[in-house]
Amino acid sequence: MNKNPKLFIAVCTLPAVILTIIFMIIPMFNAIYLSFTDSTALSVGTNSKFVFLDNYKYMFRDKYFLQALANTLKLLLVVPPITIFFSLLSASILTQSRLREKAFYRTVYFFPSIISLTLVGIIWSFVFNPTKGILNHLLELVGLENLKHAWLGESKTALACIGVALVWQAAGYYMVMHIAGIDGISRDVYEAAEIDGATAAQKLMRITMPMLKNTIGITYVLSLSGTINLSFTLSNVMTAGGPNGASSVLLQYMYQQGMNNANFGYAMAIAMFTLFMAVIISAISRKLTMGNE
Amino acid sequence: MDASKTSRIKRQMINWILRVILIIGTIIFLYPFVWNIISSFKTNKEYLTDPYALPSGFHIENYINAIEDANMASYFLNSIYVVVLSTLLLLIFVIPISYVLSRYRFFGSKVITTIYMACIFLQATYIMIPLFLEIQAIKALNNLSVICLVYAVMQFPFAIFTLQGFMSSLSREYEEAARIDGATNWGILRRIVIPLCKPGIATITMLTAMGFWNEYPLALVLLTDERKKTIPIGLANLFEVQRFATNWGALFAALVIVLIPTMIIYLIGQKYLLQGIQAGGLKG
Repeated sequence: MNKNPKLFIAVCTLPAVILTIIFMIIPMFNAIYLSFTDSTALSVGTNSKFVFLDNYKYMFRDKYFLQALANTLKLLLVVPPITIFFSLLSASILTQSRLREKAFYRTVYFFPSIISLTLVGIIWSFVFNPTKGILNHLLELVGLENLKHAWLGESKTALACIGVALVWQAAGYYMVMHIAGIDGISRDVYEAAEIDGATAAQKLMRITMPMLKNTIGITYVLSLSGTINLSFTLSNVMTAGGPNGASSVLLQYMYQQGMNNANFGYAMAIAMFTLFMAVIISAISRKLTMGNE
Repeated sequence: MDASKTSRIKRQMINWILRVILIIGTIIFLYPFVWNIISSFKTNKEYLTDPYALPSGFHIENYINAIEDANMASYFLNSIYVVVLSTLLLLIFVIPISYVLSRYRFFGSKVITTIYMACIFLQATYIMIPLFLEIQAIKALNNLSVICLVYAVMQFPFAIFTLQGFMSSLSREYEEAARIDGATNWGILRRIVIPLCKPGIATITMLTAMGFWNEYPLALVLLTDERKKTIPIGLANLFEVQRFATNWGALFAALVIVLIPTMIIYLIGQKYLLQGIQAGGLKG
């Protein structure tokens, strides 16, 4: 029936598959392999020794790694819930209210999530700038001078600043996904609830949240893996992990070990650990949101 | 009558409360940009004396500085080259394989689909060092065209996944009819499938082009030559330098120069972008 489908199939698939093998699969296996060696810039390839799990064991004695791990876990604990909360709140306000300028808010809220993360990092560095920053200026205006900080320069606040920037740039993105989910819920359900005298909060808690469980499950997992990945760029641009590692995150520490110190083997062990952690955390949260159905 | 009147007033009140909340949100999202744009028109002295006053006039020299001294023109051209070529490469490779995966069962088709699905979660950051070593070994560091190929491949999983889903939902009637009329496989792909897939192709083009324009981790390790750097890396460098120098105006101007094309494309292509995300698009 078809003219030479075999040749057609081969010509269509092989180029993409070969390129994927070269630029994705091989680097992936190379990453796993490197993580079991003591490769450095001088000894990559033939000279490096196979050390099996030594890199992985060393990680847990490395105080800077442990700090980066703790920082990443803190972000994972705080950033996704806050992001999803705000995105859900704005999504339900935008879908439930009858404001004429709804589309405008959606456009504005979504905008930060499409601009370059470098830009987000730089813009928020100015918000948190100790002398010229918007935040300190605002505190001065309302008479709370004693709350002023050198936000990015102090070890107590630097990580929180990165967290704020993460929430700010991602909330609009998940809002759009939640709006799509809410639009999929039948209008009748809300109307019936309104006739029964349900308040907006009740509608959010009793209808939107339960019926959106699946969507929220997906956005939550995306937010978790997004937090791990995107914190790399923000941490690198805003603080370079400083002061003294106080705002370093796993992938940023991996980059530092790999590209600044040229410890390729150790860096890859950190990368593989992070990837493994990301997969496990995603799987667990997916199970939790799907589990009680 | 009275009851309906009070309920209307109540409704209006609620609307205004919601509006105030949404406007506060708008300020939180927009103010940093507005502040940045205003600052870009100030002289350095104006910025240092009071960063919150309005500028005394439109000081275009910041923009001239950004373009001439800070290399913004070169970063900009590199970024445009990277976005255009990467997107073209992506489409050239991805459309045929997505079509074949959505229409034929063949040896390995299941495996290929599964691998691409699994790779969606593999972000470039995890493999940036092996990629750096590989690209270094083939002596292609600072080669923008090779970087474009790598960028395109990094988006294969997401693009194939999305496009394959889109193509599977298309009716096959037109294809069957064309085949009876004697069209070749290539003819069907070119003249029937691609035109029908335009919305899907527009969506992945929009999402991936945005991703290429903003890409940071790979450019950071693969582009070390100042003349080859793209905007995200160039900006980060400029910011690094300005932290210790004093020419803030040029940095603000550079940020605006980057912001404007993004804004224009966003306003034009918003529809496709939102569609892509609503269809479960991933973040790059």
